[in-house]
Amino acid sequence: MTMLNAIREVQIPLLAAMLLGGCAAKVLQMIRAGSAREHIGPTALFPMHLRRPVAIVLCLVEAGLGLGLVLTAGPFGQNDPADGIRLGACLLFVVATCALIEVRQSLPDVGCGCFGDFSTSPVSSRTLARSVLLAIASLTTVNLGPVTWPRTTAGALGLLAILSTEVLLIGVLSPEVGEGLIRLGYSEPCELRNVPASRSLAVLHRSKHWRRYAGLITSEVPEDVWRELCWRFIVYPARYQDRETEVVFAVFLQHRRPVVHVALVDSSTGAPLERPASKQRSRWPGLAALPRPARSLSPAFNAAQARSAPADLPVSTDL
Amino acid sequence: MSGAHIACCDRCASLTGSSRGTAGSAPADGLAGSTASATMVARRRLLKAAVFRPQAEPGAPLQGADAPGLAPDDGGSQSAGFANVFQLPRTVSGTILDVSPHVLILGDGGREQRFVLTPEAVAWCGAQLEPAALIQGDRAIGRNVADRIWANIGRVTGVITERSGNQLLVDEGATRESQVITLQPRSLGRIQVRFPTLEPGYLVDIIGIRRRDELIGMIPATSQPAYPAQRLPAPPLVSGHVPKSISGSATWHEPRDEPPGILGVSYPALDPETGCAEDLAGGMRQGYSRMPFLAIGSVLRIRNDCTGSSCRIPVTGCTPIGRLFNDRCVTCGTSPRGRVADLTLASFIALGGELERSCFNATITIGE
Repeated sequence: MTMLNAIREVQIPLLAAMLLGGCAAKVLQMIRAGSAREHIGPTALFPMHLRRPVAIVLCLVEAGLGLGLVLTAGPFGQNDPADGIRLGACLLFVVATCALIEVRQSLPDVGCGCFGDFSTSPVSSRTLARSVLLAIASLTTVNLGPVTWPRTTAGALGLLAILSTEVLLIGVLSPEVGEGLIRLGYSEPCELRNVPASRSLAVLHRSKHWRRYAGLITSEVPEDVWRELCWRFIVYPARYQDRETEVVFAVFLQHRRPVVHVALVDSSTGAPLERPASKQRSRWPGLAALPRPARSLSPAFNAAQARSAPADLPVSTDL
Repeated sequence: MSGAHIACCDRCASLTGSSRGTAGSAPADGLAGSTASATMVARRRLLKAAVFRPQAEPGAPLQGADAPGLAPDDGGSQSAGFANVFQLPRTVSGTILDVSPHVLILGDGGREQRFVLTPEAVAWCGAQLEPAALIQGDRAIGRNVADRIWANIGRVTGVITERSGNQLLVDEGATRESQVITLQPRSLGRIQVRFPTLEPGYLVDIIGIRRRDELIGMIPATSQPAYPAQRLPAPPLVSGHVPKSISGSATWHEPRDEPPGILGVSYPALDPETGCAEDLAGGMRQGYSRMPFLAIGSVLRIRNDCTGSSCRIPVTGCTPIGRLFNDRCVTCGTSPRGRVADLTLASFIALGGELERSCFNATITIGE
């Protein structure tokens, strides 16, 4: 078996897997959506009433060609039937390439839909290159004789190496793979994470600052709760030195040891008030006597600053 | 005084009037999503500034005590580089009482305002025309003391709920009444090029002439997303730190229940915990755009990338429809992402936007 022949033989199972995988993903998408009305990549180019039949035909063609490639890979259906199916696969990928070029130009936000829900990222040059590669791969299989198992270990290893290389190449050209890998190790930034207010309240109620200011607070229910980026602000009405005041807490939205800031403000003027002296004795009394470094007033309102909370802010992490 | 920095200019009287909130001035819940009161916006800014100011030691004089009206983080607003808002174009609006090639008289609440029209003044009423072609009784809004005038302009952005012939019933959100768009045969072709699926469930965004309770559709404001509103594609994943500045498309919306002339912005990602009152009846909470969560009263610095104008504008509502779009603004180049801000008419005009172009490329900066 020559090297060229080995490369041609590897294309058959690879193309069959791609076609059957694409068909299965599209069927899954239709089942999840409850209908075939939803567009699948290039079907968005068609009027709405044609999308359903086009999507169904596309799935059937993929399934037919995929199964056909498998069935005609061996001695069964040699020559004309096998070549017909392989040419059909080539034609499908050529048409797909043209359709993707059109989608890219006219509907730049639409994904290729090649693998259903997994192919949502807009059509890129990688997607186009993959389609072209598969069209060429299909073309190379025309006039190929029956696929046979390698007779030697070296031959089997050679085939495996070719297959792995091509799978790797297709993987590089597939945006779906990168997206899948990202999903596996994905950690949502705190700015985008949906954190229930109840969790922030629970964190606050376990904090040192809450214990310190709880005596001043006059209501069990916060007066106002809102969120900005990674911070949730919780405002309680309070009474301090016979004045109507408010205690404002800012709770950082992270799971472990969240930072809490606090301020006591006058209700009528909004002016910050001197905080009440802590009843707790410092573990290191000399520390309080140290002069604090002068700091310019920074916005202190982004996650980066929060992660390195300034030393001159009332910060608590002792939960 | 602090409120003045929030609202950023003299035209925000409704927002600057009450910069100091009182304890009971803001509702404790259900506030997100409703049109923000000026008090709430100012109060939240004030409290946020208080909680992030350096803490004074017991016995030490309080910082800012000698200037109690100045919120500490507003210091930044006076730093170099902050937009000189007094140089921003001024927005005028009212009903046309009289118009000639040289003078425009607008009536607003029993008050008459006269504006001298420059030779370069251009008007729009379904199409570009001479200002003198405007008609008495038209509702007009203009910029720079009437060098640019839009008459009876309207916009409907929402989900089609019903179609009857050339009329569309559009859901714009829970706090707004459904809108009727009438598509004239002469505009239908133009609109259908960009909105091929005028069927229930699909998104629509059309600019036109406001006639009582209906909009005569004239211009497609964007291209229609290929997906129905209920079948949004999965939003792209965002990893790493979210940048403070995000570039995208800034659109505008009609005031409806907002005070005229208010400078505000509807933001697509209000904290889901507090909800968005403007959410659609269908209850779609998640949009396509992934933006950092903010609240009513948060302040965005919005820069018009096409003109260079910028201004700090408070978030006054959410935009449940805007977050369903994944379109691009192509006013000056292609915006790198979809809708990041839905401005009030006054904000859009003040930042140099052209209403009939539907959007401008914008960069928003959060947390300044």
